[in-house]
Amino acid sequence: MTPLWLALHFPRFALEIFEPSGGPDDLPAACVQQHVVVCANEAAEAAGIYAGMRLSSALGLVPDLASHEREPARETDAHFRLACWAGGFSPHVSLSGFDGPDTLLVEIGGCLRLFDGLENLCALIRQGAIEQGYSPCLGLAPTPLAAEWLARGGEEGAAGQAGLRDQLGRLPVGVLGLKQRERDTLAALGIEHLGGLFALPSSGLARRFGTRLPLQLAQALGEVPDLRLPFAFPEHFEQKLELPAKVSVSAMLLFAARRLLASLSGWLATRASGINECTLVMLHEDLPPSNLLLSFAGATRDLSRMERVLRERLANWTLPEAVTDLRLEARDAVVIAGSTAGLFAQAGAHELEPVIERLRARLGKEAVHGLALNADHRPEMATRPLTQDQAGGKTQGQGKTNSPGPARPLWLLPRPRRLRQHAGKLWHQGAELQRLTGAERIESGWWNHIAGDVDADDAINEEGKPGSTVDDFADVRRDYYVAVNDAGEWLWIFNDGRQWWLHGVFA
Amino acid sequence: MSLAPIPLENLLLRPDLWRGDRLASLGTEPVASGFENLDAELPGGGWPRGGLIELMAGRQGIGEISLLLPALRRLEDSAPIALVAPPAMAHAPAWAAAFPLSRLLVVEAEGDDIAWSTELLLASGALGALLAWLPAKSSNKSLRRLQLAAEGRLSLAFMFRPPGSAGQASPAPLRLQLAGARQGLRVDVFKRRGPPCNHSLLLPVERPVSWQRRATAGPSVTLPSTRTLELVR
Repeated sequence: MTPLWLALHFPRFALEIFEPSGGPDDLPAACVQQHVVVCANEAAEAAGIYAGMRLSSALGLVPDLASHEREPARETDAHFRLACWAGGFSPHVSLSGFDGPDTLLVEIGGCLRLFDGLENLCALIRQGAIEQGYSPCLGLAPTPLAAEWLARGGEEGAAGQAGLRDQLGRLPVGVLGLKQRERDTLAALGIEHLGGLFALPSSGLARRFGTRLPLQLAQALGEVPDLRLPFAFPEHFEQKLELPAKVSVSAMLLFAARRLLASLSGWLATRASGINECTLVMLHEDLPPSNLLLSFAGATRDLSRMERVLRERLANWTLPEAVTDLRLEARDAVVIAGSTAGLFAQAGAHELEPVIERLRARLGKEAVHGLALNADHRPEMATRPLTQDQAGGKTQGQGKTNSPGPARPLWLLPRPRRLRQHAGKLWHQGAELQRLTGAERIESGWWNHIAGDVDADDAINEEGKPGSTVDDFADVRRDYYVAVNDAGEWLWIFNDGRQWWLHGVFA
Repeated sequence: MSLAPIPLENLLLRPDLWRGDRLASLGTEPVASGFENLDAELPGGGWPRGGLIELMAGRQGIGEISLLLPALRRLEDSAPIALVAPPAMAHAPAWAAAFPLSRLLVVEAEGDDIAWSTELLLASGALGALLAWLPAKSSNKSLRRLQLAAEGRLSLAFMFRPPGSAGQASPAPLRLQLAGARQGLRVDVFKRRGPPCNHSLLLPVERPVSWQRRATAGPSVTLPSTRTLELVR
């Protein structure tokens, strides 16, 4: 395996942490440091603003220019998030830069097969960065330094060693990040491109510029090893994102939260793990923080799944107050087994879990469930909703229930309905009922009486549990019959010694 | 430039084309309903996959779900079955007798959420079958969306609708009217891809008491007096 480094350089990074780019209707914006423009977005550049221009001149060109003061601390945070995100593609990630990190280096030589080839992988990485609102320049080379220089110079580069010297030779010397004095010396020598430096003898270079420059040139060409300190992924994931402005519309949080989720997804990939739930904490200026719990039907690290759940949750969420900061906390990462790629593409294999998540995010967790048997003779207690691991083949250890017992109805009324008695006969919806089977006595639940006192019974009645209006919720003594009327409706009715009740429907 | 003529036989293999006097063939293999006389009337010889099957049942308890149980049992192993907005509480012991409960997914929804959930589940293609109880005022537009979501999938999509919707046009390729009867479940094939079906079918759906026993059960039984029950207590 030959190493292959992909460098991601973000020329507008200082601005993009405030104003994500990518929208067609971006307004002119620029990031300034000490009244000098550091970088400007496309709209501002189209109006004639360039890096190095004074802010007063820029405002003269575009009076409504949105300017942000540069914040290096935020840039460091954002680079940290991006490094976590890049962990989703390769475990070898490194941050690099002149003063403070500004370029992301990813060793992808070992991951090409996993992502279906170089082109596909580069497209995925580029797409992922663009979706987070960054505009990346990619550079590809066998050595990290060459990749970084190519990315800075805005050239894509190629995978092979052949032609690397020519490619680098065409780059301007600006990519080296030299000091002003050294740049002046190079200008005096008439050297504008790296090719001019390669042509000079390294001993002469070392005399004029110190040993660092010839060493870098050799490292870029792969003649001298270039060891990079790998990025240390944090042990626990808890990241904070300071919003550039207070946000009072929940939908607008989605974009900022996406940057956090992308970071989480990459971090989980490095640990071969997934999460069942995570919490998005929204900090307010005065009120205590609000927590938004995102829960998933199964352990996952799929970014699109997380985003869908977040979108549904945010759609039904009213913010109590404007949000100043976001924090994403993920605890209890669980290891998920890797999926084996099929030798042949398996068509039609679909997953139900993401659908269940979306349903739950909109309808509530309790509304989407499986069913399980409960060992209780009372019909209303025999069913237990199951909200974990319900769909998709996990057997719940239920006994074989195929033994031919007395018939049970598919539908049970939430609470038994009183049947009308008239002229010694039972009536349901205007039709006379015929009982077909003998009585089946169901008598159970005396223990609930012993366990609970009178207060407990009252509480149960208030909750309106089935049975509360029939006889005591706990102690049940009923005779059940199967009945049918002329309309062909099959019903399950019972007598509790005082009244006749409809309890189930044989659908 | 002239197009080569396409033989009529090849055209008729398309699932959306059929001769007026014959039943359409299906692109996918149908699921046998378990009732021979019903299979004979359904295009392809069973419940068609990948299209809405509308069931208009007048009342509850006439055997409207028992009609589907043989087909649901016949589905591929562990293919999930979803109930969307069921009309009452599902009673686990009865469902467990039909198929393993781990296959069952219950989605409780109301109003517009019913169609939304149904569409999402159908579009996922992950289900073996889906039973949805649509609200009375489902618009033709929302049904069309459901039909589009179901098309090309392998799921059985049963839509229960109130009997009043029989007069309303629907994009579902198969529509059945169900009515209770003394000897079984009466099914009228209201719409299908094929010639109109002008006779009712009487199906012996599974009932808690066998039909013979029922016939001998005699007229209505007089109520046991509450006095004797009180004595027992």
